[in-house]
Amino acid sequence: MKKTFARLFFGLFTLIILITALSLSSQAHTKEIRIADSAGDWGYPNPYQHYPRGPGFVRMSWVFDSLIWKDQNGFIPGLADSWSYDPARLAYTFRINPKARWHDGRALTAEDVVFTINYFKQHPYRSVSLEQVAGARATDPQTVVISLGKPYAPFLANIGGTMPILPRHIWEKVKTPETFTDPSAFIGSGPYMFRDFNKAQGTYLYEGFRDYHRGRPRTERLIYIRSGQPLVSLSTGQADLAAIQPEMAEPLRRAGMVIIKDQRGWNKKLMINHRKFPFNDKRFRQALAYAIDQQEIIDKSHRGFATPASHGLLSIDHELYNPQVAPYRPDREKARGLIESLGFQRDRQGFYSKDNRPLKVELLASKITVGGQNVSDRDGEVIKMQLEAIGISVDLLSLEQVTTDSRVREWNFDLAISGHGGLYGDPRILNEMISPLYGSASVSSARFDGNPELNRLLDEQLLAVDPETRKRLVHRIQEVYAEEVPAISLYYPDTLAAYNPKKGVVWYYTKGGLGVGVPIPQNKMSLVE
Amino acid sequence: MHNNYRQELLQNRLFVSGLILAVLLALAALFAPVLAPHDPYDMSFAPLSGPSVEHPLGVNDGGMDILSELLLSLRNSVSFGLVAAIAGLFLGVILGLVAAWYGRWIDHAIMQLANILLALPNIMILILTAALFRPSPLSLALLLAVISWPTTAKACRAQALILKNRLHVQEAKRLGAGGAYIIGRHLLPELFPLYLVGFAAKARAAMLMEASLSFLGLFDPGHKSLGIMINYALKFYYLDVWWHWLAPPVICLALMMTTVTIIAVSLEGVFDPRLRESWQA
Amino acid sequence: MAVSATHKKTIRGFIVAYGLASLVMIYLSYRLPLFLPGDFTSAMYGGSHVVLTLEQESDHRRLYAETGGFVGYLADLASMRWGYSYAFRAPVSRLILEALPWTLLLAGSAHLLSMLFGFVLGVEAAWRRGRWFEKRLLGLMSILQGLPEIVTGIFLLFVFALLLQWFPAAGATTAYANLQGWEWIINGAHHLVLPLTTLVLSYFPGNFLLARGSMVLILKAPFTETARAKGLPPFRIRYAHAARNALLPLVTRFGLRLALLVTGVVVVENIYSYPGLGTLLLNAIGKRDLPLIQGVVLFSSLMIMLVNLLLDISYRWIDPRVTYAQ
Repeated sequence: MKKTFARLFFGLFTLIILITALSLSSQAHTKEIRIADSAGDWGYPNPYQHYPRGPGFVRMSWVFDSLIWKDQNGFIPGLADSWSYDPARLAYTFRINPKARWHDGRALTAEDVVFTINYFKQHPYRSVSLEQVAGARATDPQTVVISLGKPYAPFLANIGGTMPILPRHIWEKVKTPETFTDPSAFIGSGPYMFRDFNKAQGTYLYEGFRDYHRGRPRTERLIYIRSGQPLVSLSTGQADLAAIQPEMAEPLRRAGMVIIKDQRGWNKKLMINHRKFPFNDKRFRQALAYAIDQQEIIDKSHRGFATPASHGLLSIDHELYNPQVAPYRPDREKARGLIESLGFQRDRQGFYSKDNRPLKVELLASKITVGGQNVSDRDGEVIKMQLEAIGISVDLLSLEQVTTDSRVREWNFDLAISGHGGLYGDPRILNEMISPLYGSASVSSARFDGNPELNRLLDEQLLAVDPETRKRLVHRIQEVYAEEVPAISLYYPDTLAAYNPKKGVVWYYTKGGLGVGVPIPQNKMSLVE
Repeated sequence: MHNNYRQELLQNRLFVSGLILAVLLALAALFAPVLAPHDPYDMSFAPLSGPSVEHPLGVNDGGMDILSELLLSLRNSVSFGLVAAIAGLFLGVILGLVAAWYGRWIDHAIMQLANILLALPNIMILILTAALFRPSPLSLALLLAVISWPTTAKACRAQALILKNRLHVQEAKRLGAGGAYIIGRHLLPELFPLYLVGFAAKARAAMLMEASLSFLGLFDPGHKSLGIMINYALKFYYLDVWWHWLAPPVICLALMMTTVTIIAVSLEGVFDPRLRESWQA
Repeated sequence: MAVSATHKKTIRGFIVAYGLASLVMIYLSYRLPLFLPGDFTSAMYGGSHVVLTLEQESDHRRLYAETGGFVGYLADLASMRWGYSYAFRAPVSRLILEALPWTLLLAGSAHLLSMLFGFVLGVEAAWRRGRWFEKRLLGLMSILQGLPEIVTGIFLLFVFALLLQWFPAAGATTAYANLQGWEWIINGAHHLVLPLTTLVLSYFPGNFLLARGSMVLILKAPFTETARAKGLPPFRIRYAHAARNALLPLVTRFGLRLALLVTGVVVVENIYSYPGLGTLLLNAIGKRDLPLIQGVVLFSSLMIMLVNLLLDISYRWIDPRVTYAQ
């Protein structure tokens, strides 16, 4: 019997070795780039089917070009070679590249742009708001004039650089774009053509589009794979580019990878239910801000791999960041003073109560991180400790993400940890993340309209096309926001990616993020010669 | 009679080593608060530092003393795992035997209930529970028991269907013994080795489940348990911290499993008289 | 003749009971997912960088509203329409069929292998009860049982994928490698090794302990003693006589485990980014893709019902001593 086992074991072992040897020798040699991502599935890469998160937008951006684009220094030409703004007529004029072609070989003209705008007005592409656009017309096959109803400062970033252009000859026949899944729904004008999305395995295949108007794609194929182990996948050559955790940087650098780091555009923040006592009182919210020690959260929960966030919401790397925003330096005495000014008294254990009702708040923790991944951290534990240190008793709760989100959405919470990006993109993000007028359906938005000055400033900054005026308004918004504390920005986590330089491609994080501020280093211009 | 068993058991090396392990684990769990060198919730130490005199097992990513965390986790996990496993086993064995002995519609009803519980994905039940209630650890352990009894019930039923036809059981029935008597006197003891296996598996599942429970919101995320410790430590598997951070809770878990199995195996003889000769050999 | 008549009656009883339970299950798999807090719209857009206005939000919600009610759902099921996934915009049945082969491959072979190993080792251990071989094996198995899947999984990943680089870390095949025939099979097997080993290591101690436990009982039964007295060779006593009878609990367990196919391998699927029904269900819950959740839950529960029905009917065939009625 023992002999049989030995034989069986030996046989298995030989088989494994054989398999390894064979599959190592059979590796493909086509010129290709493989990008790893832990979730895998981000929807089909077209405007109506990709998921409304960064990775979904990026997968779509390989296939569909927009009028302009961004690289590490700012705006660059996309389908349009040049553009200009005429403030008198409230109109942008774009000159379309005459070499621009659709993947099926047809020429891309100004008519397609006009069609796209009209089509999106009828069937909205939800990543782009066309509310301010009055209309568009083609003055010749290469020129399109887009006129606005009123001045709109975020136009270039949020429309010109985000809105994918659709081929008129395909979409004009489509009545319900949400259910249009024909192969022709993926004909775009970008550097890569969509070939396959394997829903079970979470993999995508793209093929280079040789006639791309801005140069030939560097590789024949572009492949997305699903891997929850970026460290291993990069080290073994299974992937050429992946987002990584800060601790992985050192081992990967030793393995010959290049590590890139994004600007600080994504923040973890503490949502406050400011419609409910005592959070509806500004003093209490300020007390929370004084009680929270951002650096301590970074040290205890992220081992130092993050930067304390500005209390004015806009990223400290943003051109319009206001350095004068008064930070809330951790100060327990000040926090206690503010709470006591609301009539709370400390009991013998040191916890606050008012009219014999103890001050007990519920804190919803969250695992959300940059790029739509989920990693558990200790943010909730640290904040609980900090609030209890000044006398607020905390009930910490970590629910499944959508459950948390829907409770925040319905105002059924006290405090909740949440996070969002876009803080280095166009300052329109301030409107979306502060005002209920713009961000009513977002769970990351403070949805705060308790300060008339703030409401007015937010409306005005969108109209301010003059950079100096806009700067002044945006600076003031940050000050008022920090004073009101509708939510508390906690920190910007270090956002890192690693890539294999031997593949001959240089990856970088885009200035202000891709599109409306997506913090992912997969800029299509990296793969265009 | 009983004195004989005790004598025999105490002479059995396997049983004695199992007993010693169990006592050690129980002591560690009982006196965790006394033995812990620091407050396990104190986050004030230097994160990810290695073992030292002050921190025999080093400090974790959140700046907490790992040894103190381990002791408290052991205490929580042991009690949680034992309650869940005992309750689950109790339900499973009783329902399985009742189904096998009474048969007919009772059998059908119990087994179909088991099938339905098996068929519902646990994760969905847990998310729903978390969204609708805030259960206490005790009621959570009982909830796990309710989810996990069907496996034991089915295994016991299958075996009891065979035992049912044995001569001595049929004889007892002919002499007018009631169902409860036969289940308690004949079926229960004879299947002992079988369901002790289930006990270890259930305790393990419950202790590991604790981690997912806290991430799903059924526990305070600050809750200390072996499963949660393992989950946090695994995030850093590629750093040189695994041997003093990841290994201790895993070893504790493995020790607990070994203890349960060893004791179960050495008790086989006591509960099944037919095994006694080989026992003495 | 009388025996076969009762037998037929028993089988009919089973089919009726299983039919009723399946109906309950159809209702539960339809109804329970509706209780999940949040919906597709809030899961998709709630924390997204795309900020919707209230109007856009309610538009979107209208597009993905559950309208038919349970009766409509039943009617659809009756005509084999399993619904259409919100997120994938594909028929639920197709999504399930795409994921199913991988689950069957990974979980199915893990269960088969661990049952085989567990059975043989368990029988051998019981035969050598109280001896050196058994004690060592017992110790090893109980330690193995104490190792959580996630720990063995990460350990194997660390050693064999990161340090030795023998096996890939993620996926079920090399994506889009255009392999044909044998190369494709070998590539798949290469990806399967680590997740499969993790599962086998985690399942097989339980099977071992179970097989050993039931075998210990059976080796003391009169018929084994008789066989021994007849002087039959030990190997034949073990496998031809005794082990056949110890198989029943193992088969039961196999059925149970196979039933847990869907949610049972989620941890390993997650570590190795392996495709399968577990990942499909988990993602569907995360996106509140109701038709897909309902479909996967229903599919897996019907599978569980079917496997158990077959097991119940075949018990008598595996072991003639089984009787149901008193």
